[in-house]
Amino acid sequence: MISIVSVAEWIIKSLVLITIILGGFAYLTLFERRALARMQARIGPNRAGPAGLLQPVADGIKLMFKEELIPDRADKVLFVLAPIITVVPVLLLLAVIPLGPDIEIFGQQFSLGLASEIDVGVLFILAVASIAVYGIVIAGWSSYSKYSLLGALRASAQMISYELALGLAIIGPILLAGSLSVADIVADQQRLWYVVLQPIGFLIFLIASMAEINRAPFDMSEAEQELTGGYHTEYSGMKFAVFFMAEYGKMIAVSFVAATLFLGGYWGPFVDRIALLGPIYLFAKVVAILFLMIWIRATWPRLRYDRLMAFGWKILLPVGLLNVVITGGLIVVLNL
Amino acid sequence: MTVELAIFLGLAVVAVGASIAMLVSRNAVYSALFLVIVLFAIAVLYLLLSAAFIAMVQVAVYAGAIMVLFLFVIMLLGTENVESESRRPWQFAAALVLSYVLIIQFLVVAIVLPGDFGGEFGALVDGFGGPASIGILLFKEYLVPFEVTSLLLLAAMVGAIVLTRRESSR
Amino acid sequence: MTDKESPQVEGTTREPDSLEQHFPGILTPDEREGFDGYLVAPDKLTEFATRLRDEFGYDYLSSVTGVDYLPDEVMEVVYHAYRIEGGPALVFKTQVPRADPVVPSLVGVWPGADFQEREAWDLLGIRFTGHPNLRRILMWEGFEGHPLRKDWHEAYFEEDAKPFANRWPEGDVYRIEDKIPFGKNVQYPSEFTPEGWIPEGDEGLYAGLGQISNDGDGSSLKTDQLVVNLGPQHPSTHGVFRMVVTLDGETVTDLKPVMGYLHRNHEKIGERNTYIMNMPYTDRLDYLSSMSNNFGYALAVEKLMDIQPPERAEYIRVIMAELTRIVSHLWAIGFLLNDLGAFFTPALYAINERELILDVFEAVSGSRMMCNYFRFGGLARDLPPGTLQTIRELIFERLPRRVDELDIYLTENEIVRSRCIGVGVLSPEKAVAFSAAGPVLRASGIPYDVRRAEPYGIYDRFDFEVAVRYGGDVYDRYLVRLQEIRESIRIVQQAVDDIPEGEIQTGKPIFQVRVPAGEAYGRVENPKGELGFYVVSNGKPNPWRYHIRAPSFINLTALAEMCKGHKVADVVAILGSIDIILGEVDR
Repeated sequence: MISIVSVAEWIIKSLVLITIILGGFAYLTLFERRALARMQARIGPNRAGPAGLLQPVADGIKLMFKEELIPDRADKVLFVLAPIITVVPVLLLLAVIPLGPDIEIFGQQFSLGLASEIDVGVLFILAVASIAVYGIVIAGWSSYSKYSLLGALRASAQMISYELALGLAIIGPILLAGSLSVADIVADQQRLWYVVLQPIGFLIFLIASMAEINRAPFDMSEAEQELTGGYHTEYSGMKFAVFFMAEYGKMIAVSFVAATLFLGGYWGPFVDRIALLGPIYLFAKVVAILFLMIWIRATWPRLRYDRLMAFGWKILLPVGLLNVVITGGLIVVLNL
Repeated sequence: MTVELAIFLGLAVVAVGASIAMLVSRNAVYSALFLVIVLFAIAVLYLLLSAAFIAMVQVAVYAGAIMVLFLFVIMLLGTENVESESRRPWQFAAALVLSYVLIIQFLVVAIVLPGDFGGEFGALVDGFGGPASIGILLFKEYLVPFEVTSLLLLAAMVGAIVLTRRESSR
Repeated sequence: MTDKESPQVEGTTREPDSLEQHFPGILTPDEREGFDGYLVAPDKLTEFATRLRDEFGYDYLSSVTGVDYLPDEVMEVVYHAYRIEGGPALVFKTQVPRADPVVPSLVGVWPGADFQEREAWDLLGIRFTGHPNLRRILMWEGFEGHPLRKDWHEAYFEEDAKPFANRWPEGDVYRIEDKIPFGKNVQYPSEFTPEGWIPEGDEGLYAGLGQISNDGDGSSLKTDQLVVNLGPQHPSTHGVFRMVVTLDGETVTDLKPVMGYLHRNHEKIGERNTYIMNMPYTDRLDYLSSMSNNFGYALAVEKLMDIQPPERAEYIRVIMAELTRIVSHLWAIGFLLNDLGAFFTPALYAINERELILDVFEAVSGSRMMCNYFRFGGLARDLPPGTLQTIRELIFERLPRRVDELDIYLTENEIVRSRCIGVGVLSPEKAVAFSAAGPVLRASGIPYDVRRAEPYGIYDRFDFEVAVRYGGDVYDRYLVRLQEIRESIRIVQQAVDDIPEGEIQTGKPIFQVRVPAGEAYGRVENPKGELGFYVVSNGKPNPWRYHIRAPSFINLTALAEMCKGHKVADVVAILGSIDIILGEVDR
């Protein structure tokens, strides 16, 4: 039966998760800008507040007060709905991630995750990730702009292609843990992170997830140099900010998933004794992956669209399949 | 029970409403998006039936992949060009006949066979609808249909590749 | 191009002097004072040009332009043709009555004449019969008149030549603009309505998402084509340049470059200015390489005046021109990577080095970009003390290391290679035919460099290689630029070692130079390609004709050819590899 306590628990946990994404989004933009600047022999934003810490606030205020333009022949309803549709899956994604081991407050056991125990958690991640493309496709179509349309076309083709590789990469941890539950997968990594057992799987996951979230060098659907922003060309003001938020939220969410499935989740030294260390370790791993993404953005040119598709289908997918076959075979042979 | 019923009724209204909207809508993109809503509503219905695995697969495969492909094709062809101008008279007749058949089916299910459907459910087996039980079912009881399906998909894939090959070699 | 040498020995060995004997009745030498070359009868022009190309090896048409000789009621078209193996120009002209100037088009002989003939039609109103697409190119269709004609007067016209009379005689302040009400000064061609005007051939653009269908013959899948406008406001067109791209999926089936958004009628301004006034204007052509723009213009006018700068000035000129080349190529490489989607990192590292060279420019000329440093017969001022040492440190220590660094990080990068190799290929034959110049030409396997082919200044004294690659693609253009940076460093190293002390200006610096009547074509190997200045003097303080052969502009002739069949993303890379500067394209 649903008790008041458990409802309150859900609400509090949901708020915390949403705060992680939204606050993380704001400071991830600052982190990215500063890190990029350092890599490019620049300084980066450092004027608003100490060390530029208020820059996200300033950006937010600026974007809120910008004029909202809706193109004349755009589909108004869908045009407004698109950013919302884009951001919702991002907020959902963290629901199945355990942030730490169970803790005891007032003699009661609490798990540090909203729904990390459900037995199809990994599938939930895949399902939610796969619907994230709708916002982009709808935005591109409803804008009535050729650039947006091309961006949306690219996005949909790209996401379908890379979802397969993503799914195959996730099968590794599932096989190793013998469960589709994220909590089980993390629990199984207490002694050994799966990245050691699944290095190729981890690599495929990283590449495919970067493609899935349209992050450089796979940012085909925005491609400033070709499509002047792709699907969000016509967006301005707060609607643009919401797209922006979704994009960085996706980065954070994907980093959480990668850390959880391959880098041992919240596990680290002494977590079994001091449970509160768990979220800190997880956070550090997430930041490390985020830094990797920023680093890659600063370093690499963009792939060309057709090569990206060829890479996804001709290299990533076969390698992913092979990885699954070998992992499965080894598990059977070694009776893990 | 009442909460569940309320959720079910809400979902039913959404699903039926979206299906009708899908049929009525003149814009192909809108139709596709309404179909996505239908698929979502059905996914949540599965969840209500404790079939979490099916629900997730429904979202990931139907909503997440197949409908995106639909949209892709619709946008690639340009919706302005696929105005449905040709309504043949036999289509209307066929639709009428089929809908009567459907109504009769409903009536049969609801009135003639109440015992089979309205009766008591057995208690849920442990792990019902979970990945393990579905896997066991698929690979033990329904192995042959499963393999036949996969062969069929493979044939379709090869066919698609052959078609594009011939296209590009011109 | 090596095969050109053997079969046509007969043609190539012949001196141009004897050319008249081969074209009896067609060719007459231009005997005006200070002019050279030949006059060709307009009706024999195509025949002459074809034979000139095929029998005499003049396969490279450098420049086409017109001159309006208003007092003689004559319109003249001037052609500068070269042999791609090197050597001096063959100048030939054709004269037609000014009232109805009709000249046969030479696009069939040299496709590189395409844009230049359109420009001559646009600005001078010379009609080229047989031109495939004789439309305005720099002005828009709603422009009345041909502005480079001597009797065309612009809005707020004051006088024909500068310096203008005092606008404030006896302290009575007025502005000439106040005397001309704006509305009366806007003219449109008679049948033209500005409202609802859609440029010819651009209908697909304005059709919105309604797409134009290709004529499916039933055998193939019927796909729709999309006309997309890249530019003029677009992050990767390097300015206000526009490409109308017809797409089939992501593949480019047609591309039309549209330019002129930055047009300011540089040449008209130049003909109104006195000679020295034009020097700072040349800075604004290719604004990344103002020093070598100065060089070209100074050469042209010095040819007319028949003077030579002193030794020290010659050395400084070479140093500055080569430093400019390094600056421009660094910029080109950095922004090529940007066009490939690298998020500014390579560009910023390249700009970092560029800033150090700009420091040198600032020290010598007082300005980082608009240097205005060259003068006729010398330079504006000598190097300030210590500058040579700065250049030395840059050129011997820092730059070679940094160029190697760029090389290491970019040349073998997998994505760069996969995006660039085999993209935008221009065959050697096409490159010559389209009058491509600079790195674009040399990347197509033609080792043509004005510094070697027809050395100017003191370039014959330096030991350097002409960078050449044979693939003709984006990657090879990048490699040619990289190699040219290295060669430029070599040249500057030699120049810095050999530079003598002494004067930097022949004679006294004067504001009003006396230029004898005649014509001159001064050309330099600019970073973007061959930059030519065609100057005609009638002995007055202002040039009668001042024409620029802009390499960025003419290199664009081959853009459509390079882009067809590639993807949208490649178009951006190809444009980046041509390395255009809109200040020079639009003038």
